[in-house]
Amino acid sequence: MALIIHAGSTNKNAMKALIVAEYTGVKVELVKDFQMGVSNKTPEFLSLNPIGKVPVLETPDGSVFESNAIARYVARLTDNTLFGTSLIDYGRIEQWIDFATLEIDSNILRWFIPRIGFAVYLPPAEEAAISSLKRALAALNTHLASNTYLVGHSVTLADIIMTCNLVLGFSRIMTKSFTSEFPHVERYFWTMVNQPNFLKIVGEVKQADSVPPVQSAKKPSENKEPVNPTVKDAPKEEAKKEVKEQVAKPEAAEEVVEAPKPKAKNPLDLLPSSKMVLDDWKRLYSNTKTNFREVAIKGFWDMYDPEGYSLWFCDYKYNEENTVSFVTMNKVGGFLQRMDLARKYAFGKMLIIGSEPPFKVKGLWLFRGKEIPKFILDECYDMELYEWKQVDITDEAQKERVNQMIEDYEPFEGESLLDAKCFK
Amino acid sequence: MALIIHAGSTNKNAMKALIVAEYTGVKVELVKDFQMGVSNKTPEFLSLNPIGKVPVLETPDGSVFESNAIARYVARLTDNTLFGASLIDYGRIEQWIDFATLEIDSNILRWFIPRIGFAVYLPPAEEAAISSLKRALAALNTHLASNTYLVGHSVTLADIIMTCNLVLGFSRIMTKSFTSEFPHVERYFWTMVNQPNFLKIVGEVKQAESVPPVQSAKKPSETKEPVKPTVKDAPKEEAKKEVKEQVAKPEAAEEVVEAPKPKAKNPLDLLPSSKMVLDDWKRLYSNTKTNFREVAIKGLSFVFPSFKKLISV
Repeated sequence: MALIIHAGSTNKNAMKALIVAEYTGVKVELVKDFQMGVSNKTPEFLSLNPIGKVPVLETPDGSVFESNAIARYVARLTDNTLFGTSLIDYGRIEQWIDFATLEIDSNILRWFIPRIGFAVYLPPAEEAAISSLKRALAALNTHLASNTYLVGHSVTLADIIMTCNLVLGFSRIMTKSFTSEFPHVERYFWTMVNQPNFLKIVGEVKQADSVPPVQSAKKPSENKEPVNPTVKDAPKEEAKKEVKEQVAKPEAAEEVVEAPKPKAKNPLDLLPSSKMVLDDWKRLYSNTKTNFREVAIKGFWDMYDPEGYSLWFCDYKYNEENTVSFVTMNKVGGFLQRMDLARKYAFGKMLIIGSEPPFKVKGLWLFRGKEIPKFILDECYDMELYEWKQVDITDEAQKERVNQMIEDYEPFEGESLLDAKCFK
Repeated sequence: MALIIHAGSTNKNAMKALIVAEYTGVKVELVKDFQMGVSNKTPEFLSLNPIGKVPVLETPDGSVFESNAIARYVARLTDNTLFGASLIDYGRIEQWIDFATLEIDSNILRWFIPRIGFAVYLPPAEEAAISSLKRALAALNTHLASNTYLVGHSVTLADIIMTCNLVLGFSRIMTKSFTSEFPHVERYFWTMVNQPNFLKIVGEVKQAESVPPVQSAKKPSETKEPVKPTVKDAPKEEAKKEVKEQVAKPEAAEEVVEAPKPKAKNPLDLLPSSKMVLDDWKRLYSNTKTNFREVAIKGLSFVFPSFKKLISV
């Protein structure tokens, strides 16, 4: 019976154990239909790993998390030389595994993750990360000047883990001009990734041409997987990222790459015409400076057309994640950025509620049509992170809640507002 | 023949292997007269560890660096149960060792190191570090709610490494109000550090009463050792830090803790008096805005007569 690894197919940390399995003949498979941010949030998954991160290995005797631990466990299932042939070999294999993790991987991630927008970008922190990475690569370069493999004269677990960590660096952020300072590391890396057992799991690696440009404050993300380090298919534009909450800790992020779609006619344009003009409401909302309730709110209900439009409350499903103020605000900001495709057909208010963490995120949305437009549900992945409930406008309490959300009324349901963002 | 660890006596990373040795009966000693920033910069040391960090273990068969690797190596020198009694135990011990390092230790250091001035202090980075640490402690707390030890029913290598990492946190930056959110972690920690083999190496631990205040931009430091986590003697003021170059990476910093010295008379006060008054020179230096050479440098030659010979004014 094969062992199962819970992770996405492009997760370089899962590749460690998969490569070990190629060397040792053990059957290890990736779980089917793994969805980052969804599959690892279920109670069942959290019982395997209470911190909810990936990869996780499922064995008949129980689960193991932490990618290096998984790789070690798989390596010990059979007799082999991945741990060396002597005790001092073993000690040194462990030393290079830890070095690969703490000196190489952590610094690559400290550099990379903020640049792709999954952590706050801080120039002094980046400078320090690059400096630490260079120091580590220099030490590694010195060692590899007189060694083909990290330990002994054949591939060991140290080489597998080191190489997987370097794959992320070489393919996403370390350009040739950066790595040319470490020629022995370059020689080592290209030799390793071309070994058949590596090639089978990792695929062809192309070195990054440039450092990713700094993104503006982005989509938050929580459980992350390492980005696709290989270029198995032709290079594609990054069309979609599956992310939840912005964490400054260097964790790898999963990106789902899609081909650009051809422009289709929007079905909402085909609805019967309505007397309500969304832009009129947006103008009224924006221009009303005083007597907001008497002028803007009243004006809203005067122009509202329940046949042509619908109102919805949304409630973020994972408020327990909202432990950091600016991360939560960025998360909501990211949601509104991704709603840009709906701008002609929607108006929204998102409230971040509470004076201390965890903050609650709730919103009010006005959509063209009597349902949440399907193209929004399809295109904007944040939608499934919220519970949606249609507003019953015959219920005065619900109408009042709509009013309060439009005007940023405080205290909202007994609590102060950290922030209110408007989509218009 | 004992194995030698190159590290300072207060290095919590060196303590990992020393505690293992207490459990297994192997002889491991700290090297004598280790000077942080000096001993680990020699060519001989760099041949043991090219990145020049501590601790490093010297064995008859060669050297090993990285504290967790050293602890694992020492644990494998004899038959014992520090790696568990089954393969799945082993996998889980390794998982908690990695968790202790990547989730607990790294976040404690990301919080702590900038506050003691050995890395640039950036509030958003600190907020994120604390958030990540809380997430990790919450997961650990959940596990320890139904487990006395990390794996199985006795101390394993995972407990030794986790506890050493927590010692730094508890004694230097995590106050009672912070850790009270994680009661099972608290129970676990105090139980562990009071085990005889831990007590012998770590000494008595007192929990930090406050978070260290943010220091202004400090002396840079290069190779660092973890700060002294224990209070073997009475709490002392940090009188001296040996540091070289500022690195933002969360690495533990060595601080040499010295007792406040009793105020002694400065022997320089006992010298024969001089007509040069240092403060006069300092005032002249600071106040001279124009014609610096003509005024200040020349003035120096009056203030410091023999200086006249060295300059042409």
